[in-house]
Amino acid sequence: MIQEVRVIAKPGLPDSKGDESLYEINRALGIQSVEKVRTARVFRFEGISEKEAAYLAGKLLAEDVFQTYRVNGPVIEDAAVVLEVAYKPGVMNPEAASLLKSASDLGITGLIAADSSWEYGFYGRDISGADIERILNSLLVNATIEYVVREKPQTLVIKGVPGPTGVIPIRRMSDEELLTLSRDKLFLNLEEMKVVQKYFAGLQRDPTDCEIEIIAQTWSEHCVHKTFRAKISMDGQEKPPLLKRLKDATARSKHPLVLSAFVDNSGVMEFYEGTAICGKVETHNSPSAIEPYGGAMTGSGGVFRDIVGTGLGAKVLASTNMFCFAPPGTPGEDIPPGCLHPHYLLRRVVTGVKDYGNRMGIPTNNGSVHFHPDFRAKPTVIVGAYGILPAGSSRKRQPEAGDLVLTLGGRTGRDGIHGATFSSGEMTDRTIDVNASAVQIGHPIEEKRMFDAILAARDKGLLRAITDCGAGGFASAVGEMGSEIGVNIALDRAPLKYPGLAPWEILLSESQERMVLAVAPAHLEQLLEICRGYNVEATVLGEFTGDKRFCATYEGLTVMDLEMEFLHDGLPQRFMTAAWQRPEHPEPTLRETRNWSRLFARVMGHLNVCSKEPIIRLYDHGVQGTSALPPFAGANGDGPNDAAILTPLLGKPYGMVISHGLNPVLNMIDPYHGSLWAAAEAVSNAVSSGANPREMVLIDNFIWPFPDEDALGALDMSVDACVDFVRATGMPFISGKDSLSSTYRGQDGTVIKIPPVLCVSVFGRIPDVSRTVSADFKGAGNQIVLVGCRNTSEMAGSVYYDLQGAIGQNLPKLDPDNLMKVFEAVYAAIDSGKLLACHDISEGGLGAALAEMCFGGATGASITIPADENPEQFLFNETAGCFLAELPADADLADIFSGVPCSVIGKTTAGGLLTAEQYGKTLFTLNLDELKEAWQRPMKEVFH
Amino acid sequence: MLKPRVCILRTDGINCDEETFYAFNKAGAECRMVHVNQIRSGEEKLASYQILALPGGFSYGDDVHSGKILAVELASFLKEQLEEFVAAGKLVLGICNGFQVLVRTGLLPERHLGEINATLMANENSHFECRWVNLLVERSHCVFTRSLEGSIISVQVAHGEGKFYTAPATLQGIENRGQVVFRYAGPDGRPTVLYPHNPNGSLNAIAGVCDTTGRIMGMMPHPERFVEKTQHPNWRRMLSDTIPHGLAIFKNAVDYSKQM
Repeated sequence: MIQEVRVIAKPGLPDSKGDESLYEINRALGIQSVEKVRTARVFRFEGISEKEAAYLAGKLLAEDVFQTYRVNGPVIEDAAVVLEVAYKPGVMNPEAASLLKSASDLGITGLIAADSSWEYGFYGRDISGADIERILNSLLVNATIEYVVREKPQTLVIKGVPGPTGVIPIRRMSDEELLTLSRDKLFLNLEEMKVVQKYFAGLQRDPTDCEIEIIAQTWSEHCVHKTFRAKISMDGQEKPPLLKRLKDATARSKHPLVLSAFVDNSGVMEFYEGTAICGKVETHNSPSAIEPYGGAMTGSGGVFRDIVGTGLGAKVLASTNMFCFAPPGTPGEDIPPGCLHPHYLLRRVVTGVKDYGNRMGIPTNNGSVHFHPDFRAKPTVIVGAYGILPAGSSRKRQPEAGDLVLTLGGRTGRDGIHGATFSSGEMTDRTIDVNASAVQIGHPIEEKRMFDAILAARDKGLLRAITDCGAGGFASAVGEMGSEIGVNIALDRAPLKYPGLAPWEILLSESQERMVLAVAPAHLEQLLEICRGYNVEATVLGEFTGDKRFCATYEGLTVMDLEMEFLHDGLPQRFMTAAWQRPEHPEPTLRETRNWSRLFARVMGHLNVCSKEPIIRLYDHGVQGTSALPPFAGANGDGPNDAAILTPLLGKPYGMVISHGLNPVLNMIDPYHGSLWAAAEAVSNAVSSGANPREMVLIDNFIWPFPDEDALGALDMSVDACVDFVRATGMPFISGKDSLSSTYRGQDGTVIKIPPVLCVSVFGRIPDVSRTVSADFKGAGNQIVLVGCRNTSEMAGSVYYDLQGAIGQNLPKLDPDNLMKVFEAVYAAIDSGKLLACHDISEGGLGAALAEMCFGGATGASITIPADENPEQFLFNETAGCFLAELPADADLADIFSGVPCSVIGKTTAGGLLTAEQYGKTLFTLNLDELKEAWQRPMKEVFH
Repeated sequence: MLKPRVCILRTDGINCDEETFYAFNKAGAECRMVHVNQIRSGEEKLASYQILALPGGFSYGDDVHSGKILAVELASFLKEQLEEFVAAGKLVLGICNGFQVLVRTGLLPERHLGEINATLMANENSHFECRWVNLLVERSHCVFTRSLEGSIISVQVAHGEGKFYTAPATLQGIENRGQVVFRYAGPDGRPTVLYPHNPNGSLNAIAGVCDTTGRIMGMMPHPERFVEKTQHPNWRRMLSDTIPHGLAIFKNAVDYSKQM
């Protein structure tokens, strides 16, 4: 018998969830028939009496100050429609464990299972069935994880019996049958399927389902990066693999601060006083496309585990996120079948990042959101994380024969099965249906306590090796850890969320919040003791063997026995041809601007320029107490900064800088120059805050359409740009990732490719944060200086062109050698303490940068546009690697910036006006409050 | 004089423990991270400490209500130790989630374990909010704000459920007995119920309260995030001799405990 408790706010008291739902129903869905929404929590308990449920209700579930409750009866009785939305059975509800714990703390002993959900009461006389249908489908229910409870469940306990381990008769399959086996499940091509077939033919046996699944997973694009490892023929010329080019460039840079590059879960560089800092940036596009909340959460959770899985374990210091979506106002009919609306995606992705990072206590303090209509094919969701660890623990170690394999943290369920292979496939109109199991709900508290336990164990020297259990689950984590030595695990030892998982499911499950450790047997008891102290489950799965095989058993029977060499080196290297076609984007004819206030406001209100403050405020960017340069600051707290600066060692002056850059539109015009722009923008953001360009490193993320000849050609050019950037600046890439599946294919033949994204992330060290600057103007009467090389006629891809409905051909072409000189000059100027403020120029150009500095300082500005410049181009050219700086009135420019292009363009003023003149005549006088309103409005409308 | 000992209480989901530790440490205390499991098992005793600090975070995921699961655990298993601790005249500080826990144990505002008289509801704008706000420090007998009364301090809030709410009679009682320690203040320095200066819509702009002895205090904003100058978002706009506003709260606690 299941007891139900419903809890609701007392009449007259606010119901914030109800109000929020009503707002979305009225505003986002445009349904006006609903006049009020009331919500109630529903709790279900199995194994206890009604009296005990009432006791729990009074002591735990409802607070008499503002709530009432009812046991086994309705609480919303006067609504037109009442509906309950719950997690589907099998989707882990993180609250269930807390209910069990608290019930036990309150002395209720018989409780077997608990669950919680939400009930909605909709009020209004004219609500139609179609309205309710839309509210459920577009707002309240994500069918991949949730359902509408029509009948009270009979039991909350999930039962199941695992099926037998199957044998796949691959040896006698035709090509056609091999492809059928691959489709929707394995995502291997025919050549790869035939290699597998041949291997088992040689063994004179057929593979088990465990074996075929682990091969598919290990060989997936997501895990092995086949394209990045392929030999490439570009325009008929044979070139080394993309990954090799990047790694070689890093090796040639011989950067003295790099401790580990490309070999660990994150890249590591030296910090101060025997510590090291590390960074990793990941994408989570595919899961986020079908379940944005869960997808973003598991993206954050995964990248945090990459940090704690670095060396012998690092503490996570910061979280970053970079998103690309279609505009939130895109008409619904423009969204292809099988894809979700960007307004919903944006809000849900942000909520996922928020809920995971905030709960973990990791500040989210750097990020950006970019918009382009073609991201309706698939959003780009990039999440980064940074950490700190003792320099002596920063090297990856290998397990030794006899070491134990431990799994730590969450239990294994049917979540995320086929996540790795699914991420490697394209979006289609079937994606949402077929791959629903690839998504799950994250449990940040589980991850947080696991991290606490791991760092405690690390400090006691109990760990031999550690790795993240992410895409591919145990198959990937255990397989990689044992790749040199061999490993044997008993799958039936893995703690399960519910019974019924087949051995291959246990092996492949991507249940979150798990880590795999290698521990010497002598340390086991002490490690388990620590884990118990932190409420963390730890289980020995098996041991490292020395036989260079990956074996798994289930209830004593061998279900997998593969040579590590075949698994990790058996995949044939691909040979791919690339040829990029320069698209036609004619230059628009420029008209002289008549209405400056309208133009300037449109630039400031452009989605790629507008303030993202409403998003930032949802993230805890101050937890850990490390922030020394927050995302927003200034006189009214609403002026944006370029980078995040942290002081990871509280009480010490040492800073860690974090920033990034990307520009998908420029990559559509020319991937080489667009990619140089991204790298330059990323570094400019760090340098304009006061970081030394000689003491920073880079992370690459390529998010690309499916690599056909054209897309691969673009990728080849992008990688060449990265390599040239490393050569010229000496800044190495030390970590990176590619995700090459952002093409949509509809049943009707529609093909949509996203604009190619190269996101370059930067992190570095600063000896003393007191010698850094923010972007807000500090006062009136100071000089405003423009620093950097730019050709203002290069306007293609700019926001200004976009407002004319054009893309253009003539994009900013940066010279990386010149860039480095400017970076060094700006850094030297800030380090000398002579700059009051500095801001780099990016989307929206000099005009947007200037306005933002005024917003931050609550000042005005008055500038003179040089006689030889076209005013629109001068103000809205978006060449990266250029800076606006504020200098005291009496400072000598030539003294501060020597050897790089620089000029005084005006001065700061006390009023709230932005004025410009040219040829001695006033060009415009704009009201900064109006510009700020235009700049703040777009995201306020999405995140009210 | 011996340094007062501070028990920084941790459990699943607590995540502001390290900066709270740092703040008390900087203020001259000797801190120790103590997991609630260690107290339940008897390995640690509250009696060995002079100050109990409940840091911010999401204890047990803030499931059911923010801070609720931990509050139930404390009120069930540590009732006697807590009562003894409070009766001995020692100090209890709850910040953010810690404040939510203190209210849900009943220790605030009425110092009555097991009897809940107030609550912290979802923010009026119904979402999590992280921003710097100004607090007016009220005249009260709170030991944590001695010599700060009447001043305006700048601190960060970061919460989704911070709206202080209680029945009118209880509210009147709290006001009459001078238990309100902090109120959200507008640019004019006066208490405000208006967003964003009051980030959650708290009744009477209440940001923090104490019990009638002034020794148990809870507040939603995070003073531990402003004990170093560079932690403030606008330290570059401040005078070079600015003393971080949060530090005085921890120093007051340490000074009081030294004199006990």
